[in-house]
Amino acid sequence: MSAKTVATAEIPPEAAVVPAAVPDRSYFWDKIHSLTGIIPIGAFLVEHFWSNSYALVSADLYNRQSSDLQTIPWRVPVEALLIWIPLLYHGFYGIYIWSRGKANISRYSYGANWMYVMQRWTGLVAFVFIGWHVYVERFLTQGRSNYFDVAATLSHPLYLSFYVIGILAVSFHFGNGLWQFSNKWGLAVGAHAQRKAAWVAGAIGVLFAVVGLLIVCAFVFHWQPFQFYAQ
Amino acid sequence: MAEAKTILVRVKRQAGPQDTPQWEEFSIRWRPNMNVIACLIDIAENPVTSDGRKTTPVSYEANCLEEVCGACAMVINGHSRQACSALVDHLEQPIRLEPMSKFPLVRDLVVDRQRMFNDAKRMRCWVPIDGTYAIGPGPRIAPERQEVAYALSRCIFCGNCLEVCPKVNEHGDFVGAAIVNQVRLFNMHPTGAMHAHERLRAVRGPGGIQECDNAQNCVKACPKGIPLTESNNDVNRQALLDSILGWMFH
Repeated sequence: MSAKTVATAEIPPEAAVVPAAVPDRSYFWDKIHSLTGIIPIGAFLVEHFWSNSYALVSADLYNRQSSDLQTIPWRVPVEALLIWIPLLYHGFYGIYIWSRGKANISRYSYGANWMYVMQRWTGLVAFVFIGWHVYVERFLTQGRSNYFDVAATLSHPLYLSFYVIGILAVSFHFGNGLWQFSNKWGLAVGAHAQRKAAWVAGAIGVLFAVVGLLIVCAFVFHWQPFQFYAQ
Repeated sequence: MAEAKTILVRVKRQAGPQDTPQWEEFSIRWRPNMNVIACLIDIAENPVTSDGRKTTPVSYEANCLEEVCGACAMVINGHSRQACSALVDHLEQPIRLEPMSKFPLVRDLVVDRQRMFNDAKRMRCWVPIDGTYAIGPGPRIAPERQEVAYALSRCIFCGNCLEVCPKVNEHGDFVGAAIVNQVRLFNMHPTGAMHAHERLRAVRGPGGIQECDNAQNCVKACPKGIPLTESNNDVNRQALLDSILGWMFH
């Protein structure tokens, strides 16, 4: 009797025929996609907003900062490795990820589900905007853009509205992307930690939007609130 | 005597996987405390549509009627949920019943959720204890840990989390929050943890944790209140550490 009640080593036949999954490249490329959003693209965004904030000080300082950046050694390889390749990868892989999802906010209109959809659309707007922005300010100016080039672009109401939309889209995408990163890399696990991460990421997104719009104001109204620093 | 109250139920019906779906409406006599399963039982007793046409009884799955078996998941008024806990008095009428859309349809409201079980096997979601000799009792588990694991262990494989997930569809192969949660559960178990690396390798495979994009509908849809987003993020952390450490040391 006792021998019969001991569990026997019987593997269910259907379990035996299903092999364990093995890691494939999609895990690696997905993690690279999420990482490039922070480093180097996010890091470059911080640098870009910082350098452009010189427009809030004076046109001269802005031009000096621009020319400093435009004359770094190994400029083109650095631009390619830190900006162009990561951006192209992040953009196109992002579109691939988008193509594998099927949004359903009309049925399930929850906050995070809205964020899921917004992240995709703002990503697309940001990608198109950045492509145009790089073409106009980097290539049309032969990499020698200065304060007056940007001011000239922004004097056109159509381009101005494109900048405003682009800055808002980029800021949202970066802020929400930080939150996504905290989830995807397991930095914020618990519900409470997730909420805190959402607040921090949201605040960073809002900060970028505000600073970005102030920089636009600097060019549109020739408004230099920090001019007294330079005197 | 007051006239008997009736309920209108519209069911999306399909005789088989290849047939075209069509809606049929049924008028059912109201009784107190009815749930959607009670409506389907009434339809089975008298399968006549509200315009008097005789039809076949609606096929559906149900078993426990208390939200612990997972069988009766369906899309009710546009939301994926268990039919047993969907009380008629709380639902907008006419009540619309549809089969889940993310699983192969069998007939009417019956779908085949076998993929969840296959994925659980692919992700090694069990504790292997069978062998040729007795290995004695397992290690004790601290009550705090038991409390967390208990919440995770309540999964009933109903598939609501897959149904509401934008990343579970015909273009992708995401296994869904339920399976990721199982990986976390079995990795938490001291005996299961002996195979944690195998599970974490599997969960980085096709359709693995990398597919989760945090729309977080799963946690809202879960009838068992399992903290699915926590499980996703925790497995993300474990899988990442395992992959980095594996890359360096294995």
